[in-house]
Amino acid sequence: MKKIKLTVLTPDRTLLSSKETESITIPAFEGEMGILPGHAPYIVQLKEGILRYKAGGKEDFMAIFWGFARIKGDEVTVLTEMGELVKEINEEKARQEYQRAKDAMNMKGADLDLDSAQASIKKAIVRIKVAELRRKRNI
Amino acid sequence: MASLRDIRKHISSIKSIKQITYAMKMVAVARIKKAQNSMLSARPFAIKMDSVIADLYSEMQEADFKKSSVHDLFENENDAKSVGLVLITSDKGLCGSFNANLIKKTLGFIRANKDKKIYFISVGKKGRDFVRRIKRIDLEFYYEMFGIFPKVGYIHSNLVSENVIKMYREKKLSRVVFIYNEFKSMIQQNLVEQEFLPLEKHILSRAAGASGISDFDFEPGKMRLMENLIPRHISSHIYRILLESQAAELSARMNAMESASKNAAEIIDELTLKMNKTRQAMITTELNEIVSGASALES
Repeated sequence: MKKIKLTVLTPDRTLLSSKETESITIPAFEGEMGILPGHAPYIVQLKEGILRYKAGGKEDFMAIFWGFARIKGDEVTVLTEMGELVKEINEEKARQEYQRAKDAMNMKGADLDLDSAQASIKKAIVRIKVAELRRKRNI
Repeated sequence: MASLRDIRKHISSIKSIKQITYAMKMVAVARIKKAQNSMLSARPFAIKMDSVIADLYSEMQEADFKKSSVHDLFENENDAKSVGLVLITSDKGLCGSFNANLIKKTLGFIRANKDKKIYFISVGKKGRDFVRRIKRIDLEFYYEMFGIFPKVGYIHSNLVSENVIKMYREKKLSRVVFIYNEFKSMIQQNLVEQEFLPLEKHILSRAAGASGISDFDFEPGKMRLMENLIPRHISSHIYRILLESQAAELSARMNAMESASKNAAEIIDELTLKMNKTRQAMITTELNEIVSGASALES
């Protein structure tokens, strides 16, 4: 069976390097997008979400926060501002972050930075989702 | 002549200086490893980013590109009345000629652009303090950032790049120049004066020929992608510069502290010799006195 190579990069580290996978799902700008071998060349903007891939029949995933993906030949390159592997995510902390950001939004203080509060809410949501998925899959 | 006690005091104070410089050197050595690693791990991202931009550009018509909002970052018709300067120095001293060289270069730049208004962004305390002290020039502080070394993150470069782009657009600058130190090896830093904006077109066209015939599809449209990609490209570029400067600072400090420790060791040797000589002379004099005293009694 044909494989696709997945590379996930953030500015300060390499999360995955040319990993051979059978299928990939990325959180594209306008909804989730599945990639199978032989996909047409594509450049797409990503939003925050879960990147999933199947390698050797086993599914794995990670959280990514904004970025770009390029599909070219049998290679997929994901450039993301920030990415976290499953094992790096702490559910308890994510929930606290979510709560804190929500509180900040509700208080509507004078120095509230709405963009950054919304961004941290989005981030926390993704982290919680990943943690839930992890529990379901029992990894 | 200094007394024995004075020399002993002197030696002990130099010993403690040596201890400090040695400790600082070891700290720099430990951190430099980390700084080098983060330089290495930042590289793949920047390379891929360039190639994605090249792919995207190869799909764009020149006319399309001219219409996009990032076009002004590549070319502009602003008259050359004002320029931007970004100086990257360290926050702390004790790193040899690291900052002095930067400052010399900056002075040269300021002199060369005497007739223009200069907008200034400073990363690092030393540069800011220095430029504050210069008088009688047409210079305005636009943004400053310090306390980021030795733990530079991508967030910092994002902030810097945001401000660089904002300054460039707001003040209608003809160009933005970066002055920083590049890490060449453990014992060498390279001073760099780099035209940063307008961006050079070659990042666009470099891989355009090589990448060939894949016809890409886009989401959400070429123009939007380009407009989102270019600022990120700039910020990954600045990230590299910050990391380079960080590693260069550490290596400069390491070398400076090493030679300081060496000098201290030399001084200690000299002083020890002097101390021993003084001690010897004292003993000789005492003996002399005893002997002559004894012979005076005998006779």
